[in-house]
Amino acid sequence: MDYFEPKTLREAVSLLARYGEKAKVIAGGTDVLVDMKFKEEPLCLVNIKRIPGMSYIREEKGSLRIGALTPIREIETSPLVRQKLPLLWESAHQFASLQIRNTATIGGNVCRASPSGETLAPLLVLEASAIARFSKGEKKLPFTELFLGPGKTLLGAKGLLREIEVPLPSKESRGTYLKHAVRGAMDIAMVGVAVLVTPDGGGKKARDVRIGLGAVAPTPIRAKRAEKALRGKTMARALVEEAARIAASESSPISDQRSSAEYRRWIVETLTRRGLEQSWKAVTGKEVDG
Amino acid sequence: MSLNIRLVVNGTRHRAKIEPALSLLDFLRDTLGYKGVKICCNTGECGACTILFDGKPVNSCVVLAADAAGAEVVTVEGLAEGDRLHPVQQAFIDTGAVQCGYCTPGFIISVKALLDRTRNPTAEEIEEAVSGNICRCTGYTKIVDAIQIAARQLQGPTGLTSKARS
Ligand SMILES: Cc1cc2nc3c(=O)[nH]c(=O)nc-3n(C[C@H](O)[C@H](O)[C@H](O)COP(=O)(O)OP(=O)(O)OC[C@H]3O[C@@H](n4cnc5c(N)ncnc54)[C@H](O)[C@@H]3O)c2cc1C
Ligand code: FES
Ligand code: FES
Repeated sequence: MDYFEPKTLREAVSLLARYGEKAKVIAGGTDVLVDMKFKEEPLCLVNIKRIPGMSYIREEKGSLRIGALTPIREIETSPLVRQKLPLLWESAHQFASLQIRNTATIGGNVCRASPSGETLAPLLVLEASAIARFSKGEKKLPFTELFLGPGKTLLGAKGLLREIEVPLPSKESRGTYLKHAVRGAMDIAMVGVAVLVTPDGGGKKARDVRIGLGAVAPTPIRAKRAEKALRGKTMARALVEEAARIAASESSPISDQRSSAEYRRWIVETLTRRGLEQSWKAVTGKEVDG
Repeated sequence: MSLNIRLVVNGTRHRAKIEPALSLLDFLRDTLGYKGVKICCNTGECGACTILFDGKPVNSCVVLAADAAGAEVVTVEGLAEGDRLHPVQQAFIDTGAVQCGYCTPGFIISVKALLDRTRNPTAEEIEEAVSGNICRCTGYTKIVDAIQIAARQLQGPTGLTSKARS
């Protein structure tokens, strides 16, 4: 196995251009090391951990910018994230064990593109973008287009994720991330639901609603039809229940050792309803009623 | 292909030639002989291989040995001072938080890290600190007792009174 520790992004992407599919990027290594032990070793390992200046969280022009090498634990303990992006904070908080959070990076979570990746549904709902470096230059890839399938993103074999740009949601909005797993945070999510609700001035209607679903389709998805059903409408119980049913119908879960597809769909419905109710209450101080 | 790394383990400098795919766990146990670092699941789930990496608890089985170049590592072997056990070790013995003992080094490192962060952990912080450590023997109750005793020990008498006053 060839092994490299590039010291710059330029060096890293030129290695990826040279080795193509034969190369594997490693960041924290919590996914890659397990694959190397139990599946196979790549022909070339490109360890990007020694590239300086890729671990940071900063606010700039209405966005939080998060370096790809930022550990999940840094996100969880960042007052800036807690205050400005509580939805992302919640997913970092519910992410595996402390030991894993100290090692795993957000860039690795995104590039792994696991449908159950904890931060993905929240980032999708927050309409984040991936800032990716290729040998020809940089591209801004919206999360709504980034994921192609399990383990597959627009980065392909030659792109390197440099930064995640998260526009700050409106101050009147409130988000909720709910994870369903047998053993709590330690376990991979059976279903993850991220909801962001923005009421209109009167506090009766929803000006904007965004719903992201994890672990119930080949990629994390937005429940667009459920969102549409609520946008501009009065948040009444029957409508919220209806939207939750629509969200469940938009999911296409598989059956595996964690649960059956049917069970997952039930959970999507329940968590979507709960997420909408909790977000609505948090932002308006009122229950979804009648 | 192999690479040369230098690192500090429990205050001792080491220099070694390693394969790039080697995990930090295999490096510590097999190359350097720190057998206090236990191997169990080898996939980051159980916490038996927990060490401090620049002060933070990590599962050494899912960290590259190469990433430890230039780092400071602490294993359970590094906690006692001569014959005097670290208060966390002593508390585990005193409360009977050890049965087969296989999980113990990992727990002790996680608890040491917790008590380095705070001398006055809440129940929630205790749970968070050891939720990545699995014990198949004790049922955890005695481990939580041990953590509370160790915390009190480390606070010392002044720590307690200042807390009582505040
Ligand atoms: C015990 C255990 C529990 C876990 N629990 C959870 C959980 O609760 N929730 C969850 O979401 N995940 C969980 N995971 C999975 C894993 O920890 C996360 O996906 C983590 O975020 C991966 O980050 P990393 O830095 O370790 O990535 P790595 O393993 O280094 O890389 C992951 C993938 O991303 C690619 N990659 C990494 N960085 C870049 C980059 N900057 N540019 C391009 N490609 C890149 C790698 O090539 C690889 O394909 C768990 C893993 C373990 C071992
Ligand atoms: S052996 Fe590393 S976590 Fe189990
Ligand atoms: S004492 Fe046996 S596993 Fe914990």
